[in-house]
Amino acid sequence: MKNPPALAIAARRTARPLHKLSTGAAVAALALIAAACGGSSQSSTAGQGTAHKGGTFTILANSAFGVADPAQNYTLEEWQLLIDTHDGLVGFAKVGGLPGTKLVPDLATSIPTPTNGGKTYLFHIRRGIKFSNGQTLKPSDFVTTFERQFTVPGPTSFYSGIVGANKCNTKGCNLSKGVVANDSAYTLTINLTAPDPELMDQLSLPFAYAVPASTSPKLTGNNVPPGTGPYMWKSYNPNTEAVLVRNPYFHVWSAAAQPAGYPNEIIEKYGLQVSDEVTQVENGSANEVFDGDQIPSDQLSQLNSPKYASQVHVNTLTADWYFALNTSRPPFNNLLARQAINYAANRAAYVKIAGGPSLAVPTCQILPPNFPSYKPYCPYTAGTNHTKWSAPDMAKARQLVQQSHTAGMKVVVDGTNDQVGKALVEQMVSDLNAIGYKATPQLLASSIQYPFVQNSSNSAKWNVGWSAWYQDYPAPSDFLNVLLGCGNIHPNSDASPNIAEFCNKAIQAKINQAETMASTNPKGAAALWTQVDHMDTTQAPWVDLYNPKQIDFLSKNVHGYSWNPQWYILIDRLWLS
Amino acid sequence: MLTFIVRRVLWTVLVMFVITVVVFIIFFKTPGVDPARALAGRSPNAQTLAEIRAQLGLNRPFPIEYGIMMKKIFITRDLVSYSNQGVKVIPEIGQAAPATLSLVFGAAALWVVLAIAVGIAAALLRGTIFDPLLMVVALVGISAPVFWVGQMANMVSQGIGHSTFLFSWVPPLGYTPFTQDPLLWFKGLVIPWITLSILYIGFYGRVLRANLLETQNEDYIRTARAKGLTERRVLLRHNLRTSMITFVSLFGLDFGALVAGSTLLTEVVFGIHGVGYLTWQALTNLDLPTIMATTVYGAFFIVLVNAVVDIAYAWLDPRIRPT
Amino acid sequence: MATLLEQVEIDTELRPAVAGRNPWALAARRLWRNRVAMAALGLFLLIVVVCVAAPWYAHDVAHVNPFPPNLNGHTVMGGKVVPVMQRGGGVLKLGETPIGPTWDLGHYFLGADSVGRDVAALLLYGGRSSLFVGIGAAVLCSLAATVTALIAGFFGGITDSLLSRLMDVIWAFPVYLLAISIATELLTHSSGFQFGPVHVDASSLWLPTIIIAFIYVPYVYRPMRGQVLSVVRKEFVEAATAQGAGNLRLIFSEILPNVVSTVIVLLPLMIATTILTEAALSFLSVGVQPPNVSWGTIIQDGSDLVYTRPWVTIAPGLMILLTVLSLNVLGDGVRDALDPRAKLRVEG
Repeated sequence: MKNPPALAIAARRTARPLHKLSTGAAVAALALIAAACGGSSQSSTAGQGTAHKGGTFTILANSAFGVADPAQNYTLEEWQLLIDTHDGLVGFAKVGGLPGTKLVPDLATSIPTPTNGGKTYLFHIRRGIKFSNGQTLKPSDFVTTFERQFTVPGPTSFYSGIVGANKCNTKGCNLSKGVVANDSAYTLTINLTAPDPELMDQLSLPFAYAVPASTSPKLTGNNVPPGTGPYMWKSYNPNTEAVLVRNPYFHVWSAAAQPAGYPNEIIEKYGLQVSDEVTQVENGSANEVFDGDQIPSDQLSQLNSPKYASQVHVNTLTADWYFALNTSRPPFNNLLARQAINYAANRAAYVKIAGGPSLAVPTCQILPPNFPSYKPYCPYTAGTNHTKWSAPDMAKARQLVQQSHTAGMKVVVDGTNDQVGKALVEQMVSDLNAIGYKATPQLLASSIQYPFVQNSSNSAKWNVGWSAWYQDYPAPSDFLNVLLGCGNIHPNSDASPNIAEFCNKAIQAKINQAETMASTNPKGAAALWTQVDHMDTTQAPWVDLYNPKQIDFLSKNVHGYSWNPQWYILIDRLWLS
Repeated sequence: MLTFIVRRVLWTVLVMFVITVVVFIIFFKTPGVDPARALAGRSPNAQTLAEIRAQLGLNRPFPIEYGIMMKKIFITRDLVSYSNQGVKVIPEIGQAAPATLSLVFGAAALWVVLAIAVGIAAALLRGTIFDPLLMVVALVGISAPVFWVGQMANMVSQGIGHSTFLFSWVPPLGYTPFTQDPLLWFKGLVIPWITLSILYIGFYGRVLRANLLETQNEDYIRTARAKGLTERRVLLRHNLRTSMITFVSLFGLDFGALVAGSTLLTEVVFGIHGVGYLTWQALTNLDLPTIMATTVYGAFFIVLVNAVVDIAYAWLDPRIRPT
Repeated sequence: MATLLEQVEIDTELRPAVAGRNPWALAARRLWRNRVAMAALGLFLLIVVVCVAAPWYAHDVAHVNPFPPNLNGHTVMGGKVVPVMQRGGGVLKLGETPIGPTWDLGHYFLGADSVGRDVAALLLYGGRSSLFVGIGAAVLCSLAATVTALIAGFFGGITDSLLSRLMDVIWAFPVYLLAISIATELLTHSSGFQFGPVHVDASSLWLPTIIIAFIYVPYVYRPMRGQVLSVVRKEFVEAATAQGAGNLRLIFSEILPNVVSTVIVLLPLMIATTILTEAALSFLSVGVQPPNVSWGTIIQDGSDLVYTRPWVTIAPGLMILLTVLSLNVLGDGVRDALDPRAKLRVEG
């Protein structure tokens, strides 16, 4: 996805690496607690679990997340709440660490293997689950859920492979052939036009979470339809706050997918300055700072003090902050020129702009660390260790510029006009000038910069464009195909995520091969994706800068912190003392 | 008099129309602004974008778009923001207005009282060192950028001085509605009030002083002196009232401008979510409906206050007829 | 009893000889005698000179190029070599903080900003931009307003009506809304504008200059028009017309010289206003654009560091304060010199 948790793009902060012992121990402990505190209907060791229940958990956020309708909302800010109020056919395990990237069945009883050459999935839906309005969940509710994907304006590409989807639009949608519900046998069959190995990942996104069949096909605005999760939406006012209370009809059917939540109430308050958020959490009037990536430098120094050390959690995100190189015109249609700026880019300086090595990790390649198929690879560094960036190689960079015959050319560097965006652009201008280009900055408001660099009609106006990408779900294609695949260049469209307009036939062939192999030979496919990542890095369509880290700052009385690589902080798994 | 008022009102309506049209033109076809795109998510195809655009009504020619937006602002009042399709803009402005009004009324009360005090003091103390001293202090108030003064105030009250007894009562930045917590409302507005009024105390103090001194030598003042009244009584009872005419008319203009949203900088620096802040957010996000609505709101106030001041002026002094 | 001739001679002797003085010379002498105004003028000129000398300071004294970021750089503080950006301490080591003021003119006198640049050098370069935009906008504004006022006041009738109404409409706009709207829209044309053979970059200083000049034209137009109207009715204009003077000669030889003093009185005050407006627009990111810096952009850069590195914010604000204050005091002095009876009333 494009947008980081906070809607405004700012410096990202990082966490301790996941493999550290303390986090692992915490994850193991949490798994135990999760199992113990889980279902009232199944487990008898509910003692410790119920002891944690209670209290109101307050999150402070600078701004709300726009429209609340789950069919449209594409922000992590709301997704962190939707995973507590709604459920999908499948979901990511609600635990921290790497186990949190495993898909587990949620409203379905098991994850089916597809039949019919990978085009048909038969789900058995659990019985006895109720929405927060008392209605019982039936398979036909899912028909409405998927049809709403198309009748409500919003992202549709995740589900466009469903039979009948190509005829769907905002005027109407009939998916009766693609999503077949059998309310007596309690089954749901999804028919695809072509095999899609990522379907399960896509079904675990909140777009596909069940809403009652009676939900309007039109945008429900800021009223969230009822869900099946442990919490329900009591109110949402984007100018003041959102309030979630317990869903009285909820019971635990799968502790792995949807355990019971600890707080009795979850409140998210909007409109505060980030510095105020930090102050309030410091003195305990609230529990979580949502905008950990926008904490001003002033307060970062405060958080360094031993007093708050146990309340600050830093985690590396599976995300890239990068500059796309416009490969459609000179000088960066020339491979040597692209590699030159990669050698010259001073990643240590970019990391400092992000807040230092504690908050960003320099990178040269496309896939982020701790991501499937990631194998460290960084050729664009001084020295001989090509797995880790250490310093720029200016001599090599200048040599490549000479070889490419592009020295002295004018280069326009485009970015956003906020504090961090401006600094990144100015550093890139400086790096380009150091190797012989004539670079100038070009700053745009962040709301228009992203569509601007995507639209090829603006291609003549920029050569280097800043962007950032956060995973939608842990699949290599989410980076390598979406951002650098030939099929994602849409000319003259504001929505063309392959900003660099990069299309390499050999690499695309490997991508296609990996996608077809995914269901039959996952290990082989994974190895292919690693190759694609390294090949892309060598072709240098980007200058990848760093992988950001996220700061979670919690109040002293918050316990049970866990970091899920998909959803980040798991709110209803936190308990208050 | 009646024709004058009628002409003024008609003129008001015309000016507002022109302002809204100009703002609409400025933003309607801004390159790179396509609200449909923001909604369409990842990799939508051209068809999806076209559908969303049609649904939002972005395809039609400019005058019709303008007309529709004006209808939604004035008649049906269901104008919806581009940044958040669940938010109705008119109620949003209604919710933001109390913050701006609290800020402006408080600051205005403060600056009027202090400016009158400063102006009178300077006029009375003419000839002593205090006159030029007061005027220099007033000038300093006018010369400092208001957002910088606000930042300096924050630096002291939230940062360095926050632990001292002088500023420990200052709450975190932001606005608390009066109905929610009157004491917190007050405490949160004290520093913004002072910051905003510094600019105007200086200006109005000087205006008043200049007026007072100018009319010192008028005949009717000389008459009062000849009657044996003390200088101070002359000043306060006779001079002040006539000198206040300019003061009052200028005050009206500035007050109107502030209510209309000139508080933008102060609101941004202090985190007060009033109309100025809303305007600023809308401009940053290029959210045309909210920009249009705040423009209408702002222009309406300014033009209204201008008209009231002109009418009052004409009523106060029939010799004066604005051209 | 004197003869008529003797009477005339006596009268001539009794009449004192008065040396005629040019009114401009009189005004200049009054201004010169005004110590406070002269001090203000001196301060303003000093600021201008220091800012113009920015390249010299940056190159020869501080030995920095203050424009590109200097995140990995080092400097000397208290005799030791220190990195310009210092990593956070404690357990987590979050954040990078720039060094604070060294009070050493040769090394980061006022410290570094959030990307490691020398604030003192930036401050002087910023002054150049702020003064250019401020003075440029005031001059452009006065020119435009004067020309418009001359045309409106001289020709009267429909011309006057139309022009005055146009000015009223511009003036009715909430000032910042208009400036920010235009600036925001212009900035989306990121590759600049083409006016025939002239290409204006989106980051050119002329854009904020023209925008600010435009929004204040009505402010100067009103008093100018009042002056023009009062002069147009005077007898010497009528006399010149009777002599057969054409419109252009009337406007430029008869009317203009008599209204110029109004412009001169307004000019320092306008510069003060435009400098403050530029600072506000730059603070909101819609004024001066990179790679240029101005006092307003430096204040904005320092917003994140107000509590730990306050000098990044204090210094440019003080410069603005001193510059605008000196202009205001000077403006008062000029007005006293040219118009001692304070007939000129400037609104708002």
